[in-house]
Amino acid sequence: MSTDIKSKKAPSRIQMQLADFWKEFKQVKFGIIGLIFLVIFILITIFEHFLIPFPEASTRWRDITYWEDNPRNAPPVWINWFTEKDYTPTTYMNNLEFEEKTISPTMSVSTAILEYDYNYDVPPIDLIYRGRFKGSFTLNIVLERPDGNTINLVNKNFSSPTWKDFRVAISNEAKNAVQSFAKRFQNVSSQTIKVNSTIFSEANKEIITNPVPLKGTYKFNINIIKTSEDTVIEDPKFIFSGAVSGILGTDNAKRDIWSGLIAGTKWALFIGLLTSAISISVGVIYGVVSAYYGGFVDSIMQRIWEIFMNIPLLPVLIVLSAIFKPSIWSLITMMCLFFWVGPVKTVRSMALQIKEETYVEAAKALGASNGRIIFKHMVPILIPYAFASMALNVPSAILYEATVSLLGLGDATIVTWGQILHDAMNGGAVTNGLWWWVVPPGISIALIGMTFAFIGFAMDTILNPKLRTR
Amino acid sequence: MSEVLTVNNLKLYYFTRKGVVKALDDVSFSLKEGETLGLVGESGCGKTTLGMGLLRMPSPPGKIVDGEIIIDNENIIHLKENELRKRIRWNKISMIFQGAMNSLTPVYNIKKQMLETLLNHREMEEEQALEIIKKYINYVGLSEDVLKRYPHELSGGMKQRVVIATALFLEPKIVIADEPTTALDVVVQAQIINLLKKLKHDLNLSFIFITHDLATEAEVADRIMVMYAGKIAEIGTNDQIYGKQGPSHPYTKGLLGATPKLREKVEELAFIPGTPPDLLNPPTGCRFHERCPVAFDKCILNEPPLKEIEPEHFVACWRCYDE
Amino acid sequence: MMNDEIILSVKNIKKWFPLRRSITEVFKGKKRWVKAVDGVTFNIKKGEIFALIGESGCGKTTTGRLIMKIEELTSGQIIFKGTDTSTLSSSTEIKKYREEVQMVFQDPYASMNPRFRVRDVLYEPLIIHKKTKDSREMEKIARRALEEVKLTPPEEFLDRFPHMLSGGQRQRVATARTLVLSPNLIIADEPVSMIDLSTRAEILHMMKEVQENLNLTYLYITHDLSTARYFCDRIAVMYLGRIVELGTSDEIIENPLHPYTKALIAAVPEPIAGKENIIKDIPIKGEIPSAANIPKGCRFHNRCIYSKPLCYENVDDPELVEDSNGHYVACYRYKEINQEVQNI
Repeated sequence: MSTDIKSKKAPSRIQMQLADFWKEFKQVKFGIIGLIFLVIFILITIFEHFLIPFPEASTRWRDITYWEDNPRNAPPVWINWFTEKDYTPTTYMNNLEFEEKTISPTMSVSTAILEYDYNYDVPPIDLIYRGRFKGSFTLNIVLERPDGNTINLVNKNFSSPTWKDFRVAISNEAKNAVQSFAKRFQNVSSQTIKVNSTIFSEANKEIITNPVPLKGTYKFNINIIKTSEDTVIEDPKFIFSGAVSGILGTDNAKRDIWSGLIAGTKWALFIGLLTSAISISVGVIYGVVSAYYGGFVDSIMQRIWEIFMNIPLLPVLIVLSAIFKPSIWSLITMMCLFFWVGPVKTVRSMALQIKEETYVEAAKALGASNGRIIFKHMVPILIPYAFASMALNVPSAILYEATVSLLGLGDATIVTWGQILHDAMNGGAVTNGLWWWVVPPGISIALIGMTFAFIGFAMDTILNPKLRTR
Repeated sequence: MSEVLTVNNLKLYYFTRKGVVKALDDVSFSLKEGETLGLVGESGCGKTTLGMGLLRMPSPPGKIVDGEIIIDNENIIHLKENELRKRIRWNKISMIFQGAMNSLTPVYNIKKQMLETLLNHREMEEEQALEIIKKYINYVGLSEDVLKRYPHELSGGMKQRVVIATALFLEPKIVIADEPTTALDVVVQAQIINLLKKLKHDLNLSFIFITHDLATEAEVADRIMVMYAGKIAEIGTNDQIYGKQGPSHPYTKGLLGATPKLREKVEELAFIPGTPPDLLNPPTGCRFHERCPVAFDKCILNEPPLKEIEPEHFVACWRCYDE
Repeated sequence: MMNDEIILSVKNIKKWFPLRRSITEVFKGKKRWVKAVDGVTFNIKKGEIFALIGESGCGKTTTGRLIMKIEELTSGQIIFKGTDTSTLSSSTEIKKYREEVQMVFQDPYASMNPRFRVRDVLYEPLIIHKKTKDSREMEKIARRALEEVKLTPPEEFLDRFPHMLSGGQRQRVATARTLVLSPNLIIADEPVSMIDLSTRAEILHMMKEVQENLNLTYLYITHDLSTARYFCDRIAVMYLGRIVELGTSDEIIENPLHPYTKALIAAVPEPIAGKENIIKDIPIKGEIPSAANIPKGCRFHNRCIYSKPLCYENVDDPELVEDSNGHYVACYRYKEINQEVQNI
């Protein structure tokens, strides 16, 4: 025995347990992989705002105006690496430098020249010029093509005494102008032309029927003629709505799928963790109490458990969701109402063993109350098992939510991976080959399931031999 | 008397995650034909490890690192596993494990278990095997209808007798008995000890009797080997250890002093202060020096070798060599 | 160190456990019992160390549990400091009883929650009995208890976990736990049987000192006759749920009157030279019967080498009768048997 007078305080029980646990956890490869993924998911949730081009994706998922500048059903930009043809990606040009020229006391012209290098084979779906304004002005856009031809694309007046948004889509506005341009080279009787295709194609005899991309530098002269003195234009943007768009493309509502996916991460984590934490806690306490009291109480509690155990959760969820307007909270509540049954049997058998331990008997001999024995002596031993159980339950919760959303009964105010999948199914993603809409959310669900399964599996491997109560 | 078992410099280490535990560190001794060698020591001294090691069955993560185990003039250290199983284990050397309750499977009856063991080791007709089993069941004082029963239907003493019969029916020369009576009541204990003595005499067996209780050892052992912290402290005959002269090694002396004698009125029971050392980091020099009442500086620095101080009496202690 | 004041009086206590019955037995209305304790009577004087000795299944542990009120009596009375414990009804009364009667368990590791530090183990009785809310006060009491059991310096041990202690140290902590509430009676159930031999005496020595310093009374339950002789003032030998002999330790060991006690003593091994080739004579037959099937008459008769028909025909178990001062024996023929033995 040491003769130190001042003894070093042994690290707290929790610290020691964590240190031991970590030492063993490190050795299980699955656990490390799972942990890495978990950290990635958490980082995604924290830095969501910086990761996505559409930061308000979560709240404005169903707001059409938020997405209106995106192309519809556009594949991801990186497919350009794999395809022969190059597709124009969506580009935003925000910083346009305008030069002011005063023509007359009441009129001034701001001109900006936008240079755009077009080296693609498939032209953008649309060109959009938008911003906010007050007052009145005429918008004039003239395009100088690399081959020297010019087209007067837009000539439109805007007027409003109060602040208003303006938005000009070339595919709409420049229809006539482009048609006339095209007819100069190919005389085809009234055929609807694709405006953007023509703009970016070589001016030859087949400009309408068989367009060949004209690569080079295109100059867009944007002239804003302010027709009243106090006209102010704010936040002008020129958007090339590409043939491909975003990291994961867009869906049929023009929504950037990457943004939706990232935004959905936090909900996946939230639903998964909250549901497991609550339901496992309830289940563990239920099992311990049932085992501790034994006899009649135990019988009743187990019969109740059997009833809950045998009610199929999904049909119930579906029915309830169909009746009541589902929200994420009611979904979580309902899942908790049924998930608690999971750990009960195992916890009960462990608690039955612990009940027979001498130190429980010693506590009774000291006069400890039932509550004290249950919560101070029995439950703490089950905490490791509870954690492993929680980890393994997270994927289930996420999948249930995804299933419910898939059936169209999810919470409409948020975006979850299940909902994205639901929209994909309904939006004909599969039949139209829009793989970028279906595969990423599916993989994400699988990945997060894998993450928690690995973590839970690793915890189980370590903790199982120690489930002996000594 | 010839030697049936010779152990030379046996080293058995446990390779745990926390480090190497030197459970047996250079152990040498021999067992003569027809004698009972008592192996005595406290928990953690290595006696059970030695028992399992002699059968070459160290519990994982244990491994035999060095040394020789010579049974019947054959060194079994390097034999292949199935050689061991066919020829050595149970044929030449068998074991009665600690706690009979643990070595009998609860789901099979006694007959089936004994048959299985017997037929595993020797090819023969079931009829013949049954004859042998019945013979030995009777030998240990049980009636044949025990064979139809299941372990939970038998008392502790009966189960232990079944285990003894199982250890004997292949007629090995050497039987290792690891705490065969510790879990039993005192009357049953005495009866089992009587049985073992009878068997030793009738079948000319050589026993290694492992226990922590010096009193029990006195009643069975011809020679006694005292172990401490993985090493042998003392080997002596029954008279040398328990006789008037008393043992030499301070540890043996302490142990004997701490053993209560029923029929002597004792005012104070002796004890040895402290606890056995951690074998992950054994102390330098003599492993007992921290608890020894007569240790001096040589004991801290140098490990005492096992020396014969009188015929048949070996001690590993710097204090004892000049006698 | 004892006066004659009786602190615990156990009167004809019985504990019968119901056994599962087959359907036919249920119909016949027959009940089967495991009669673990079947009519036990003894007194313990204040300040003495009283031993209950016997083999497994004799009922000694159950007796201890009955006194601790961990089990309920089937019949009989337990009178502690003049009060019949079965009359204790309110939780305050029962809690007071638990303060005064404490237990030290056999397995020093299992009797403490492995997640509790020594500190928590010692605080627990104080918390349960709401002795004080002041943590400094609790620490003071805990320290004093650790000093009493010679675990010094106390701060060295207060923050350790049970697995960081040796078996002997754990048992000291277990003893300290009983002292924290200043009890009157401590029941020690095989307190040293799982501890190394070389430390056993140390623990018993400590327990004896504690008893002398605090004027405690011990009920020492064990199967080990040898330590009982060293440690205890009086011994009661139990067989199959009843006491067969009772007296001072010296009397029982040197002058056993009951055949069972004689057999027990004969069976105990001793560290003496020259016995390795002698087949010991153990004056007893057969095996311990099950407590569910107790032999009629004197329940020891079918194992007794001296039994005669008068021991089991038309008679009940013999009651304890006093042979000499304080030496009681429950045997119809003990006088004749002693004559026979002396004549040999």
